Amino acid sequence: MQKISDDLRAIVLLVQWDLTKIVRRVIFVAMRAVWFAVQVVVFGQVLAQMVNAKVIGLDASTYYNFYIFGIYTSILFTITASRAYDIAEEFEEGIIEYQLSLPIKRKVLAFGRAIGSGIASTLFTLPMFVTVLILAKEADPLAIAISIISALVFSIAISGLVLSITLSIKSSDATDILMGVLDAILVRLSTVFYPAVVLKNIAPYYYGALMNPLSHVADILRILYSFEDFKAIVISHPLAMASYVLGLFMGFTFLAMYIIEKKIEGGGWK
Amino acid sequence: MEITETKKLLFIALRDLERFINSKYWLAGQIAMNLADIFIFALVLRGFIRREFVPDYLQYMAPGAVALATFVASFSIGREVGMEVRREIVDYLLTLPVKRTTLVFGRIFSGMLRGLIYQLPFIVIVMLLVSPPTIHKVPLLILTSVILTITMSSLAIAVSTISRDFNIQATFRAVTYYLLFFFSNVFYTKKVLELRFPQPLPDIITLTPISLSADIYRWCFNYYAKLEIEKLLLLIVWGLTLTTLAATIYLRNLTKR
Repeated sequence: MQKISDDLRAIVLLVQWDLTKIVRRVIFVAMRAVWFAVQVVVFGQVLAQMVNAKVIGLDASTYYNFYIFGIYTSILFTITASRAYDIAEEFEEGIIEYQLSLPIKRKVLAFGRAIGSGIASTLFTLPMFVTVLILAKEADPLAIAISIISALVFSIAISGLVLSITLSIKSSDATDILMGVLDAILVRLSTVFYPAVVLKNIAPYYYGALMNPLSHVADILRILYSFEDFKAIVISHPLAMASYVLGLFMGFTFLAMYIIEKKIEGGGWK
Repeated sequence: MEITETKKLLFIALRDLERFINSKYWLAGQIAMNLADIFIFALVLRGFIRREFVPDYLQYMAPGAVALATFVASFSIGREVGMEVRREIVDYLLTLPVKRTTLVFGRIFSGMLRGLIYQLPFIVIVMLLVSPPTIHKVPLLILTSVILTITMSSLAIAVSTISRDFNIQATFRAVTYYLLFFFSNVFYTKKVLELRFPQPLPDIITLTPISLSADIYRWCFNYYAKLEIEKLLLLIVWGLTLTTLAATIYLRNLTKR
């Protein structure tokens, strides 16, 4: 019993660590807020005007709602993935080695960091999520609760992936390039901007989007708010999408645990 | 033997260019983003955009992507110049046997070279996707690229040297970047902007350096049949104004304490 409470205490401390880190990134917050504002106010409005939403059974304003939930998902992904740069910096400063030397089980360390990063990133995007809800004129408490949980689960999954990648390659430069390329490709090769039925015109892209976690989270959020509007165009059955996101959460968190427990040693950072 | 100021300027520019080529990680991420814009974003939206607005979205966006790629590469000089001002490396630069104006124009020139080199593979891609420019359009394609790169390089230098504070520098640079990126006609036509936003916003958006260059590129790659020569003249005005502004701000901040 004592051991469990020690582990929980360690997790709480690690979550606090990640929360304090993100609060200090004022400039990053400001830049992301500007990016989000322009995406929602300009890009989304114009795209809604330009696309032929009728071919997917929507009108321009419904497509705009489709778009803003996608943009929220993309910013949640980008912010979570940007934790890779923090982890790289921590490695350069010796903080990771310090954490590895603490009397905390490595499994707990990995789990705590993944959860901490996930919570920090989700909290960071909450004002943007509220903006999306206001724009979509949605206020169903159950839908809000489930969507925040979905966003959190997704964010923890991506944090687990980011931890695994960054700590495996042990290189700031390689982390930089990999995260940049992943962000560029995953956001575009998903249902963030266009629904799955449009992607079906190009088969390799459709299958890419089908495997892409961003597609599943974006579509979960959409269907939670307007099942009737989006049921015909989401990438998969709602339960299948939820299972996929949950599977990613478990898979990537265990991967981070495995890497931190079995593979990682101090030093060797390039 | 005395080295001429031109050679010194070239030396400064080539040194900056070497640093740009060595920043392969930044380049790889940037190239991936620009390619994803053309081969994923534009290609997928091609079947989803209303034809009355844009008959072929891939062909419309690809020349715009060249303007965007060129802008981003030239703009990257701002980050380094800003860092030098912040860390007072400018003190070292001022001790060099180089005229201050040579130093300033060397940096602007290096931003230009970055953009011109970076855009080359994208020009080849657009030639394959849209249409190669006829021989009489090539000089205008080069001229547009030169003016666009000088303009963006100057703008980046001006924005990055406004303050010595990293936070202010980064915010100014990001806001300028986002404004130019999204408030352009690279992704959408003026007709659509007019339907969504009141005047003079659509007019302003179509008169930014990125939009003007994108339109000239579209003509060069035969997407547009006609070129309004005022667009080129306005781009030249942008170039002259921003170069003068950047040179003045950078010169002032080289010695300001």
